[in-house]
Amino acid sequence: MSTPAREMGRKDASFEREPARRVFASELRECRYQFKDGEDEKSPTFVLLPTGERSNRIFIVGTLTEKTRQGDQNIFYRGRVVDPTGTFFIMAGSYQPEAMQQLAKIETPAFVAVIGKPSLYRKDEASAPMVSVRVESINVVDKETRDLWVLDTAERTLDRIEAFAAGTAPDIVKAKEQYPTIDPVTFRKIAYDALAQIKI
Amino acid sequence: MLMWRCTKMDFSEAADRISRKFSKSGQTVDSKKIEGKLRRLIEEFGVQPSEAERSVTNELNKEFNIPAMGPGGSAGSGGAGSSGTAEKKIADAAPGEWVTIEGKIVALAAPASPAIAQGGVIADDSGAIRFVAWAKANAPVMAQGSWYRIESAVVDEFKGIASLKIHSGTTIKEIEEDRALMPSTVPISGLHPGIGSIRAKVVQEWDASHERMLQSGLLGDETGTIKFVIWKEPGKESLAPGSVYNIFYAQVDEYNGRLSLNLNTAMIMQEEGDIAVSGGEAAVSGAIVHIAPGSGIIKRCPVEGCNRALSRQNYCPVHEIQPKFTYDLRIKGWLDDGKKTHSILLQRDVVESLTGISLDAAKEIAENNPLGMDEVFLQMRDKVLGRYITCHGREIENRVLVNKCEPVTFESEKHMALLNRAGGAS
Repeated sequence: MSTPAREMGRKDASFEREPARRVFASELRECRYQFKDGEDEKSPTFVLLPTGERSNRIFIVGTLTEKTRQGDQNIFYRGRVVDPTGTFFIMAGSYQPEAMQQLAKIETPAFVAVIGKPSLYRKDEASAPMVSVRVESINVVDKETRDLWVLDTAERTLDRIEAFAAGTAPDIVKAKEQYPTIDPVTFRKIAYDALAQIKI
Repeated sequence: MLMWRCTKMDFSEAADRISRKFSKSGQTVDSKKIEGKLRRLIEEFGVQPSEAERSVTNELNKEFNIPAMGPGGSAGSGGAGSSGTAEKKIADAAPGEWVTIEGKIVALAAPASPAIAQGGVIADDSGAIRFVAWAKANAPVMAQGSWYRIESAVVDEFKGIASLKIHSGTTIKEIEEDRALMPSTVPISGLHPGIGSIRAKVVQEWDASHERMLQSGLLGDETGTIKFVIWKEPGKESLAPGSVYNIFYAQVDEYNGRLSLNLNTAMIMQEEGDIAVSGGEAAVSGAIVHIAPGSGIIKRCPVEGCNRALSRQNYCPVHEIQPKFTYDLRIKGWLDDGKKTHSILLQRDVVESLTGISLDAAKEIAENNPLGMDEVFLQMRDKVLGRYITCHGREIENRVLVNKCEPVTFESEKHMALLNRAGGAS
């Protein structure tokens, strides 16, 4: 009783890391809505998936098919990572030196695992928003890891679709508002096709 | 002031309590009506809540021709009518109630604020509860180890922990006889916030994370484990890792849904014997999404019983420069299943089997490669980052201390099941 409970807990004020969501390229491509959770400069930014889940970080495994080095003063790398449903656009700049060095080293094509932060940007005022993934880490993996990721991502996608229909969670409601023309059931077909591409 | 505010919100609780009391004796009363009466007495007439409850109860007693309830119970000397609150065993005292209890002061703690005259733990044979005597209460000072009868105290609740509040309306009488009191221990899995007694083994000792901390670590029994802490105070001693203790009247706190024990109020007795501590085993599967700095090959302090990780300059936070360090392997990182991210800590043998790099091989790299220890980190990162694994181990404070792990393998049954699920309803 000499020490309040508050003080005891302080040192391990448990930090919850944002989980890395599993999403296929064709769903991520549809994202148009991005928001901040909180007023702080450091509050995390989320992209809202059409299936009704917020995503501050994603984990993808696919084939790195292309990478290009850009910029003179501020070097950065762009790359394309292909999954069975489409293409992720990834980039790593000087603010992610470790990720940039990893990406620079990888010879295309290669199976890669990417942990990164999705964000929306527009080329110019007139164009539609694009989703790109700022790489935190990228690493070469094997085909089995890619196959495991397809299973994992299909499962999570189906979970989201099932939660969506009757869902009243705030993020699901927001997704229904923000993406009135998207029927998440289309992602069920996409998940099926992705699964069917894995050779048994 | 504080009392007033707490109780003001509790009209409905007090009303329910009264109506329950009468429904037990077969009478139906309208708790809304009771609530109204209580509100009127307390808010309009400034009647003490305990007094209001008593007065409403007695009014109903008269109405139903039930003899007025005295303090009741075994202690006849208490004097009928001296209190309207129910005599309770400590274990039965629920938040919001006005109670009379008899118990032994088993611990006293330094008051946390000048508004508090005395604080500590009072126990009877049914259990124990924290108590606070407000400075304003002008209550007699109670001595540790003595028995007291405490009449008309209030049980309230803060952060889910019940405590007995001794205020100006409370009477305290010392009980002369020394009654036998043997606390009963509960399994760790049965602890809840408040006060608890356990028989447990010290399974881990952690580095002190605060200068006022004497010791922290993990206690375990057959049912689970719990974090404990002892703060520096005169007369407090550390527990010996691996030993079994009877720990009576420890403070059970809750923080972020996890319980921990503060042993400063506790009576601690070492005993012979051993306990087969349950793992609190967890198995988590997911992808490794981050390998933290400090992973790979590390140097540890060679001082007996220290084993802390040294800095690059071989500096131990306690034993300073240690050129005769020993090498070790570990991986600290994050394992992510898409819904939750678990912090993982892999010990040497797990690292060896997961990365295929033995301690000797890592030592060889660290001493001969131009990048030294960094090269071990990079090689290990390249082998595990982005891979799916299942980790088995003890989960403490959201960190899994992994004692076994294996790669997740592709299962065609799962593949088929998912194909069916995805194709099923379209």
